[in-house]
Amino acid sequence: MEKYRDKNGSRNQRGWRYRGGSYKPWRKYAVIYRSVLMENLQYAANVAMGFLTYFVFIFIFVKLWGYMYRMPGELIAGYTKEQMIWYVMMTEMMFFGSNAASVAGEAARDIRGGNIAYLMNRPYHYALYVLSKYSGEWSVRLPMYALLAVVLGTVMVGPLPRFRLAAVPAMAVCVVLGLTIHAVFKLCISLFSFWIEDATPFQWLYDKLILVVGVMFPVEIFPRTLQPLLKMTPIYTVCYGPAKLIVDFSPEKCLEILAAQILYLTAGFVLMNLIYRKGVKKLYVNGG
Amino acid sequence: MLTAVKNELRVCLLSMKYNMMREMVNKVTFLTNVCFMVLNNASILVQWFILFRLREDVGGYTFREILFLWGLVAASFGLSHILFARAFSLSDLIIKGKLDSYLVQPKNVLVSVITSSTDVSAIGDFLYGVALVCACRPGVGGFFLFLLFTVTGMAVFTAFALLLGSLSFWFVRMDMLQGQMVMSAVSFATYPDGIFEGISRFLLYFIIPVGMAVWHPVHVMVSFDAGMLFTVAGYACALSAAAVAVFYRGLKRYASGNLMEARL
Repeated sequence: MEKYRDKNGSRNQRGWRYRGGSYKPWRKYAVIYRSVLMENLQYAANVAMGFLTYFVFIFIFVKLWGYMYRMPGELIAGYTKEQMIWYVMMTEMMFFGSNAASVAGEAARDIRGGNIAYLMNRPYHYALYVLSKYSGEWSVRLPMYALLAVVLGTVMVGPLPRFRLAAVPAMAVCVVLGLTIHAVFKLCISLFSFWIEDATPFQWLYDKLILVVGVMFPVEIFPRTLQPLLKMTPIYTVCYGPAKLIVDFSPEKCLEILAAQILYLTAGFVLMNLIYRKGVKKLYVNGG
Repeated sequence: MLTAVKNELRVCLLSMKYNMMREMVNKVTFLTNVCFMVLNNASILVQWFILFRLREDVGGYTFREILFLWGLVAASFGLSHILFARAFSLSDLIIKGKLDSYLVQPKNVLVSVITSSTDVSAIGDFLYGVALVCACRPGVGGFFLFLLFTVTGMAVFTAFALLLGSLSFWFVRMDMLQGQMVMSAVSFATYPDGIFEGISRFLLYFIIPVGMAVWHPVHVMVSFDAGMLFTVAGYACALSAAAVAVFYRGLKRYASGNLMEARL
């Protein structure tokens, strides 16, 4: 330990320097998060440019479910028309508000282009660095899309029946955990770029699985035999869980979803770390 | 005149050939892109299985007609991205002043620009579209109609992208709008027209050209109507002519980015 000390301060066992006080490894990620957040705040107008696509998706689903529900008060898979449309609005809000695709794409480009050689030598864990950046991005995007969703939903379908305002903090925690799990799994797929040149096709399949099974429909709409299987996939923790809580909150359901999310997040982090450690050993960088 | 057209076509085909050869340098990546795009498109069928479990028809379409719809959208969109992928990112070239290298070539500027890249995954889209329609057994006549409408759909999608992209000569930030409008058109096109009504239906037939690119052709494939066939073909020609005219009108306002660039 002594050999790492110098006149500017002290260093920990890995040689990272800190100037007095207790060593807080998460502080550097907080700095990354803050800098990305500030940068994204400058370009908030750019985020608003994406509202058109979100509006188009919501418009299509309002029309589609308007056609599918032929009688007022009809239930499909236990959902009223309003609940079904609000469910889609919430899942789409998370999809558009997180922009996990750009973060995963950046990681894949870093690996493919060789930029990873510069980033992995820095005193942070590369995957956590990417996740910090991702959090900085969605911290700006998500509130904007949430506001748009509330306005569009209220205008196009009316207020959400039986919505519990007091449960918003619990819903917010579930949404944030869902977004993080989604990013961790997308990052895992991007890390496959250490072995294959382009992991984008695998991202398409994962995204489409989330979109078709989790974003467009609640799990209850699928055949009963498939439902237990679907609840074991990331869809349950990424899309269905948070959106279900927003449209039909219950404390028992909330605890069940939170427990599943914590389990998934832990497993996701272990998997991500494993793939990263194995992947960097495969890295060849050509100078230039 | 005929020789000039022949020369342009030859350059166009050579450009596509070299684009494809460039993309096929890494064969594994090429095949993965194509195959996974087919799988990616196929996965959306789950949505329709679910919806048809709830109702016998969706927007007045049977399951077979939905397959025609998806087949036509995938094949038209795929073909436009195989042949004219650059038309869909034209805004970026204009805004960044990257058209210089095309302007100095002794060939048609527009043809050189829009044929200068190929989207490999679009091959998967095209193959998926053809396979889906073949699976519906449309008959020989139906299949030829499908091929004809794939070409008109391709012309409509490309012209729409070109028209929006060319607006970058006048307005900034059209790059985001171009992408969003084209993707919106594709999103609308993958749902039956029966779910839209009133003003939205009017807009989708006359402003965002989804009706002419996909919905009318599907109606003709289901129940043949020569008048509608000629209307679709005429619309595709008229929109393409308008897009070309707007591009050349805008090109007069083009300002170079003084970017040194070599096209290999």
